[in-house]
Amino acid sequence: MKKTTLIFALLISGASVFAQKRTTTSGTISFDATTSLDALPRAENKTVVAALDPKTGGIAFEAIIKSFSFVNPMMQGHFNSVNWLDSDKFPTATFKGKITNLAAVNFSKDGTYPAEVSGDLTIHGVTKTISTKGTIVVTGKMISATAAFVVKVDDYGITGKAIEAGKVNKEPKVSVAVSFN
Amino acid sequence: MVISKTRRKNILIAVLLIALAGAGVLWYLFTEKFGDTRKEKADYTMSAQNLIAEFKKSDSLANKKYAERMIEVTGIVTAVEPADTTVNIKMADSTGSYVIFAFQQQHLADARRVKAGDSLSVKGSCSGGAYSEILETEYITFKRCAISK
Repeated sequence: MKKTTLIFALLISGASVFAQKRTTTSGTISFDATTSLDALPRAENKTVVAALDPKTGGIAFEAIIKSFSFVNPMMQGHFNSVNWLDSDKFPTATFKGKITNLAAVNFSKDGTYPAEVSGDLTIHGVTKTISTKGTIVVTGKMISATAAFVVKVDDYGITGKAIEAGKVNKEPKVSVAVSFN
Repeated sequence: MVISKTRRKNILIAVLLIALAGAGVLWYLFTEKFGDTRKEKADYTMSAQNLIAEFKKSDSLANKKYAERMIEVTGIVTAVEPADTTVNIKMADSTGSYVIFAFQQQHLADARRVKAGDSLSVKGSCSGGAYSEILETEYITFKRCAISK
């Protein structure tokens, strides 16, 4: 009887751990908008909040715009200014989406799985649906995920003289790396 | 009006000097890098708990006051988290609201030695705070940090 109770308890706790939403407060998002004319517009944000629900495949990100750290102070100023990201008015960027090929990812078995993700990306107060491919690596309890995609700045109403002059790539590459321990 | 040869020469030199100074300023702006945080003067010195409390009270007011300012924050480390190839240090309050510090490359080695439970002061550029819908807590982020003591 005791054994049955124990097994039952283990099953329930195991199931609840599996079903639990995993979160991190140290996700990394970097972007590279450099061109042959300008090597400065690139930055990294290492304090991104992210969540993954292995059961539903739900994925979410929240990034504070001012957390993007540049090497050059002037470029960081431009990035946050009214003309570009306007971070005083739109302090965060968010993503809410899902893994669309959830059946191909086994979160309870070590391995590397190709993932397809689709969802709503909000930058500069503008929301657009995007789809991208990524990789999920399961190692014991740890789940790591990486993805890289292109963001068209025109889609998000981000303009400016430097962008028009070709100094900033209109389609910067965005890379995401998160680990849920 | 006839401009003398010497005067013309002087004007030419002045124009050249101005152009050179302009080029110098541009060169400086484009090649300037953020300095070592350890050498920067803190605009504010406060406890992690007070900083979190101020953002919880009103993050719009706190953002106006603290965003992009150099702040030295003292508190107990509640977690050291891997962030890609680096680490972040976190100080949280009893409700789970937190302040998190991402480090300057040259100060990463110091950060890696820190353990949860350590009491320390971290100086860095405050990136501001927001309410996280994911975590349902207030969070404040810092960049370019260095451990000061």
